[in-house]
Amino acid sequence: MTDITLQRTRPVVKKPIDWWRWAGRFFLTFLLIFTVLPMAWMILTSVKSQFAAMQYPPQWWPAEPTLNNYFKLLDPTNRVGADFLRYFWNSFYVSLLTTILGVVVAVPAAYAFSRFRFPGRNFLFFGVLVRNMFPAVVFLMPLFLLMRWLGLVNTHGSLILTYLTFGLPLSIWLLKGFYDNIPIQLEQAARIDGATRFQAFLLIVMPLSTPGIIATSIFSFIGAWNEYVYAYTFLSRDDQMTLPVGIQRFFTEFATDWPGLMAATFMMSVPVVVLFLVLQKYFVRALTEGAVKH
Amino acid sequence: MSIATGQATRPLIGQVAKRPSILSRVIAHRTDYLYVLPAIIVMLVVIAFPIYYTIELSFFRTPPNLQMRDKIWTGIDNYRTVLSSSVFHEVTIQTIIWTAASTFFAFLLGLGAALSLHREFIGRGVMRALLLIPYVISAVAASYVWKWLYHSDFGVIGAISVQLGFTDEPINFLDNRQTVLASLIVVNIWKEFSFAMVMLMAGLQTVPDQLIRAAQVDGANAWNRFWHVTFPHLKGVSMVTVLLLMVANFNSFIIPFVMTGGGPADASHIWITHIYQLAFGRQQWGIASAYAVILFVVMMALGYFYVKALTRGDEARAG
Repeated sequence: MTDITLQRTRPVVKKPIDWWRWAGRFFLTFLLIFTVLPMAWMILTSVKSQFAAMQYPPQWWPAEPTLNNYFKLLDPTNRVGADFLRYFWNSFYVSLLTTILGVVVAVPAAYAFSRFRFPGRNFLFFGVLVRNMFPAVVFLMPLFLLMRWLGLVNTHGSLILTYLTFGLPLSIWLLKGFYDNIPIQLEQAARIDGATRFQAFLLIVMPLSTPGIIATSIFSFIGAWNEYVYAYTFLSRDDQMTLPVGIQRFFTEFATDWPGLMAATFMMSVPVVVLFLVLQKYFVRALTEGAVKH
Repeated sequence: MSIATGQATRPLIGQVAKRPSILSRVIAHRTDYLYVLPAIIVMLVVIAFPIYYTIELSFFRTPPNLQMRDKIWTGIDNYRTVLSSSVFHEVTIQTIIWTAASTFFAFLLGLGAALSLHREFIGRGVMRALLLIPYVISAVAASYVWKWLYHSDFGVIGAISVQLGFTDEPINFLDNRQTVLASLIVVNIWKEFSFAMVMLMAGLQTVPDQLIRAAQVDGANAWNRFWHVTFPHLKGVSMVTVLLLMVANFNSFIIPFVMTGGGPADASHIWITHIYQLAFGRQQWGIASAYAVILFVVMMALGYFYVKALTRGDEARAG
């Protein structure tokens, strides 16, 4: 995203009124309202009491803002808080393990797809790509049976294994794009200096591809953190659930606790939004990698 | 396996008439496979096996207790059942509406946002980040937030439309066969338009500035500059973006499932949620598998274009 600044040297042309520019501003304002209002309402609701939220017409601004909903979620001594914190931990741990395993498996594969031309490369690579096309549900039924045979239903192992499937193709694809951009001459130079192929890969290519690995890790972490379908199907034990499934199970029992639900949704979104904001550059790069050739 | 050999085989294949046998090439590249082996093993277990098993199940009647040893061969009966059911036709139309409308509007909003954000101004980075947040957060969170916004009694959207005088009493968006699909499409657009925005913003950077200025000097107005200079440059990115959006929308599950569960009276079912309901709601795994195979075939057609669009220039690169 840095090249934008380099291009902006256009001379300022004095013109009466640029209607397109104004149209753009109005459009952006509209989009901003469209995007932000739902999120703002989520936060506003989460600081209301149950009574204040259930009013018609709604309290546009909370009359007595309270953080009780958050305290309740973060307090391990009551049942709500204990469950919420357990779901949070489960989500974190599953996502982290998926990310690490995924990167470990994807790095060599992506490197091979980028550098080698072995027979079957295209077939395998397209196989990897096409996997992206298929919805979870197609894989859900057979995987559910497979997990039953393996005795993995209701364990986090089943989730990590399946998250790898949808994480891997994307990770391989993203990383391959990054490796494509690393000049092959660097490795050749290292080889001439006596490094083995694997040393060249480990000591030259790996450090250079750190941004790519970071970008890929964010993607697979966010993907795993937000995953719902498999977790919903494979887990039925309460203490195993991840957040997206957990908060559902949890709040349909007291179907009307909207402020609590909004607080939980907010808490669930915080990690991914923070991760995204901090590493935005990598995220955007990962998103557009491959589709746009610079 | 040195880098040099890895690269040299490629051009040789085209030029030399006597092509080395597959086996000798596999042996020559044997160490290359070590790098992809872990990925292939994972893929085989969790991708190849499920695909095979789904196809197999689609020809059987399956017992509701899921003891698959007792399944009964029925030939293509499951396919006939799916294709002839009236719910399937209804759901197909809904799937097409859902996919087409979501893709079209998400792309349109994304294009507008990308063009408006292309110019440098203060707060541009903040704005892009804000617009991207819905894309980053989980669809489950988005579904709950919008479910609350659409709430029939205390929903803020209903309250606003009453205040502005559009309706006399809050509309029940999600419990109404007429409004439910459109309401869900709005949520979906909210969630994903910024993906199109980011893709197109990256694409816009490849449009040479000189061309725009040249057109400006030649007296082209803003619309003509866009249509004749900018847009042709965006064709490649646009194609990939539209395809990815289409695939994502066709495959989306969470928003309809969490918000309405396909209801009321199947009015917000799309293929995916319908398959899920058949398999895990009614335990009709054979029929659901046949349904999934049909979906699979449709996706293969889309997948062909997807791979083509994505791998543009892949072979041209020496890498």
